[in-house]
Amino acid sequence: MPSIDYDSAADVIERLEQRLIESLTGETSVSRRTVLGSLGVAGSAAVGLGSTRASVVPGHNDEDGHGNFGTVGEYQDLDFDPHEFLTAFNTGDSGQDNVPQQIYEVDGRTIREFELTAVDTTITIAPGVEFQAWAYNGQVPGPTIRAVEGDLLRIKFTNLGRHAHTIHPHLKNLNPRMDGIPQNGPGVLDTGESFTYEWIAQPTGTHFYHCHSLPLKEHIHRGLYGTIIVDPDPERVRENPRDYVNYPGPITDDFRTQLVEEARSRNHEYAENDAVNEMVMIMNSFDTNFDGENEVYAANTRAFGYGVGETDGNGNWTAGETKRPIQIDKNELQRVYLANATEFDLINSFHTHSQFFDYYDHGTTLTPTRKTVDTIMQTQAQRGILEIDYSDHEPGLYMFHAHQSEFAELGWMSFFKVI
Amino acid sequence: MTDKGEHLTTDGGVPAENETTQPLGLPRWVSALLPIVLLVLVLGVFAFTSPLAGVQSGAPLPDVTVTHATLPSDDTVVLHVTNNGPESVTISQVLVDEAYWNFRVDGAGGDQTLAPMESAQIVVPYHWNPGWDLEVALVLSDGSTFHNTIVAPSQSPGFSLSLLGTLAVIGLFVGVIPVALGMLWFPYIKTMSDRWLHAVLLFAAGVLSFLAFDAGFEAFELAERVPGAYKGNLLVVFGIFGALLLVQAISAWREGRVAAGDSRASSGLWIAYLVAVGIGLHNLAEGLAIGSSFALGRVSLGAFLVIGFMLHNVTEGPAVVAPVARGKRPSLKHFAALGVIAGAPVILGGWIGSLAYSPTIGAFFLAIGVGAILQVNWEIARMVRDAGGRVASATNLLAFLFGLGVMYVTDLFVAL
Repeated sequence: MPSIDYDSAADVIERLEQRLIESLTGETSVSRRTVLGSLGVAGSAAVGLGSTRASVVPGHNDEDGHGNFGTVGEYQDLDFDPHEFLTAFNTGDSGQDNVPQQIYEVDGRTIREFELTAVDTTITIAPGVEFQAWAYNGQVPGPTIRAVEGDLLRIKFTNLGRHAHTIHPHLKNLNPRMDGIPQNGPGVLDTGESFTYEWIAQPTGTHFYHCHSLPLKEHIHRGLYGTIIVDPDPERVRENPRDYVNYPGPITDDFRTQLVEEARSRNHEYAENDAVNEMVMIMNSFDTNFDGENEVYAANTRAFGYGVGETDGNGNWTAGETKRPIQIDKNELQRVYLANATEFDLINSFHTHSQFFDYYDHGTTLTPTRKTVDTIMQTQAQRGILEIDYSDHEPGLYMFHAHQSEFAELGWMSFFKVI
Repeated sequence: MTDKGEHLTTDGGVPAENETTQPLGLPRWVSALLPIVLLVLVLGVFAFTSPLAGVQSGAPLPDVTVTHATLPSDDTVVLHVTNNGPESVTISQVLVDEAYWNFRVDGAGGDQTLAPMESAQIVVPYHWNPGWDLEVALVLSDGSTFHNTIVAPSQSPGFSLSLLGTLAVIGLFVGVIPVALGMLWFPYIKTMSDRWLHAVLLFAAGVLSFLAFDAGFEAFELAERVPGAYKGNLLVVFGIFGALLLVQAISAWREGRVAAGDSRASSGLWIAYLVAVGIGLHNLAEGLAIGSSFALGRVSLGAFLVIGFMLHNVTEGPAVVAPVARGKRPSLKHFAALGVIAGAPVILGGWIGSLAYSPTIGAFFLAIGVGAILQVNWEIARMVRDAGGRVASATNLLAFLFGLGVMYVTDLFVAL
């Protein structure tokens, strides 16, 4: 309906005036024709001819007509940075500021002591979408704890949440009172209560810890989980190589040396470990509307946190402030400590594009349990170590994501930017 | 009442002049305004001191309605949303078939936040497949979701002069022409005896009653899609009573004129016009349905449907002209006017429906049509009675039933 639209006419005139001023104050390149043409545009806008939505909302013209999947907007809540979380290992002598920790020796055994606190908090799981979480030390996933096989982990746990919580470790635990379940030891810890769990870091591998209060489904899904990484002790590997392989044949000296080398590469206290880029990824999910299905999937909580900021769908992309690929050096070996905390779905998966990797299920062996694969799957609480080598790839963007398409499109879609 | 003094009003009250003097000798307008002033004061105190702050618990739930979706092109989906809740909501993300998707919010003041009762359009660039259902969900900032399924998507025509032209042609065929054809029965109706004429009038009443039910059910059905804040069902009730009482008031005013000796007011032409207005309002709603089907890209106006509408509406012609069958034949001018009033609103409704469709407008117009029709039926019954006929004679009852039956059968041809 061609009606007089004074607002849009005023807008157009204002923009044209601005353009005129800019062009006059810059180079005097404005021609009489430009001015006349502009007046014509303003006139047509006045009768509603030149004013379309597209012109009112600039910046959408360059997009691919089909649109692109992905969340819209950037994360405003900067309390949690999934990029920092990737490499935030708490070893007792170094770690995150929000995880009080210390390391000391008693009777020749290394004690790594951590203070974990369960709190109720709000986290951002997609740009603009908040989730009422229960979290260890205010973060989801919880802090990554790292020790060496045989160390004692001393966890001073305080529950400041409204509900009763525990910490249950997926470790080989010789004392049932330390299992972190309602039926044993201190049981659930009510609001304000504390307990110190003591666990021996064994076996080597990447492990899982989580709250075991009931209802279990809710306590896990709300965010009470994290990983415990137990590095192999190379000396112990040299002495007991059979504990670290699923292989019945003879252990040659070469093979023993190879296993020790792998152990040194895994152990954060050895220089060989510095040559490897290690990352922790917990595949998780969030049901925001209580229907027993997840609205958001991610690696490390934030939908598309390791995605690209913007793309036109025609091969061009830009990194966002908070949504950006993981930058990796092609000459470094990439080691991913992967765990699955997904609730409500039976399995989750990890798939790399243009790439195959070696997979160590649970990380308890020093030889791959699956060699040269590009997709693995994990049930809840399953975890493993991926070793990925990009040294012969061209620099650029390489995708990795859950190969349940639904999970990928709901946020578990990520990129490595190989340089 | 023994004293029939002129000071008594019709409701038995006493005129204010004779009332005892106002308390404290205040003027009358003070006592009229005092309760309002006090109410404002109390509300002010309530608002500023929040005496119920301690009773507040929890927050009201967000409520967002997707009233409808339009598909202006094969790669764009537009969701029309309204915030029904008492609090502002922020549409943080949009899911299309369980995938996060690009979108922008138009008409919410440049952001993604909707104030209570505020409506906006969510524009999603998505290359949809014709006929393949599309499940969309709005994800609010608190994670709550609001789902809408676009069933068998097909492109909405958008605005164009040719669309208006098409709708005008459709309106002409399904509204104006059938009514005009039906009115051609007038010379025959004129020759009928009183008994048969009354039967024809009751037949018309049957036709109208069917339309009232038809539109009434549809109005309540549509009301379910009206955003909750607008109280769809009550809006329909208001529309029905509003139209009924408004037309009745006009009718009562006419009677006053008749009593005052205005001969024109006493002619059957009045009723004919009332019938035409009632049918016109109904046809407006019919046009809205056609137009909105176009707007939603949900129309298959095959020849069969047009034939159905024509059969359906041809019965409305005699209903319009039956009231003027007695007495002097009105001039042709009046016939033309009656035909236009009864039939042309299909065109108008089509335009409104295609340009400014919303379930709220649709339900309200349907309700108005129902109210107007109910009043017309009342009027027809009185007309028969005033002419010395018996409304509930066997012939009349059967004629009424026949009217219902004809409409039912012809309605089977119309499936929109």
